[in-house]
Amino acid sequence: MTISLAVPDILVARARAGDLEALEALYRAFETPVYNLALRILRTPEDAEDVLQETFLEVVRSIKQYRGEGHLWGWIKRIAASKALMRIRRNQVRATEELDEESTGGPGSTGGVPMQIDLERAFERLSETSRSVVWMHDVEGYTHEEIAEQMGKTVSFSKSQLARAHARLRRMLDAEGAA
Amino acid sequence: MMHCTMDDLLALKENEASAWAKQHLETCPACRAELDALYQRIAALKALPVRRPARDRWPAVRDAIRADQRRRRRRWGAWSLAAAAGIALLLLVRPSGGRVDAAELQRVKQQSATLEAELDRYDPDGRVTSGRTAALAAVLEDRIAVIDGELAQLGTPQAPVRRAELVKLWQERVDAMQQLMSVRVTRVAYVGL
Ligand SMILES: [Zn+2]
Repeated sequence: MTISLAVPDILVARARAGDLEALEALYRAFETPVYNLALRILRTPEDAEDVLQETFLEVVRSIKQYRGEGHLWGWIKRIAASKALMRIRRNQVRATEELDEESTGGPGSTGGVPMQIDLERAFERLSETSRSVVWMHDVEGYTHEEIAEQMGKTVSFSKSQLARAHARLRRMLDAEGAA
Repeated sequence: MMHCTMDDLLALKENEASAWAKQHLETCPACRAELDALYQRIAALKALPVRRPARDRWPAVRDAIRADQRRRRRRWGAWSLAAAAGIALLLLVRPSGGRVDAAELQRVKQQSATLEAELDRYDPDGRVTSGRTAALAAVLEDRIAVIDGELAQLGTPQAPVRRAELVKLWQERVDAMQQLMSVRVTRVAYVGL
């Protein structure tokens, strides 16, 4: 997914002044990419919507600190990723069981479906931590150093999570292809 | 025969692989196929469809923003107009010579931040303003936004020449904010624009 969201400076200035119309315009501009990022990392649409809401409230509260260094989407994405990661930690406290990626077959395992659908389903079966590392690294283009910093983990944790996740994806897609 | 692990394959992709892995890849078609598959998986992940929220969360967000704004307004209500007018009279002391140093830049930035904080506390939504005053405030806000855009493009240069340019922009920002402050406080209809 490539995003080139250019927002006029005037709009940002009005949003900073608390203008609700400008804030809504900003919300509409970023609602889908923020939601998509959160949904890919988290498990449920409800969680992703909550992250969308939390992200935007944070954007409104700290937009006075945003001075236009770097792209606005980069700044918002960072807030969204950190909100999503925070929710993962909260979810992990609630559910102690590490999700068994390979055991749940999921409904309707039909053969001959296109590769993309297989991959999407396989990706959804990874743990939230694995998904966040894969998504941030492979899709959003974060480095292992950046991921480690955002997650409060080490670089080698990020690297090994990525390798484990890819090994699982590969096994799942393999099993899917053989079925 | 030993093959590349997923760590090796990812390292190969990042160009950080060991000499052994690079060497092995040359001679092993199976590992080359694995590396291809890795690239394909990543390309397929990037190509996943964009998901959109099923429900509109904007009303909830808007309500939360309004509640925040009401809280700030109540804080402002405790403020006296006289105090605000005092702040509006904060005078900008311009640098006398052409000498522009880092401290000067720091000072003008600080001044800008102080004014911005005061403007923020002086919430315009809570007051009735004439159309002329509101239009004037909008012009000034736009001017500040344009300056912010220029500041963003300049970044934080180290060279003195560009620093002078930066200080000039920050001073323009402070000027515009002072005018905005006096528009809001005194509701004047003319600030020499
Ligand atoms: Zn091999």
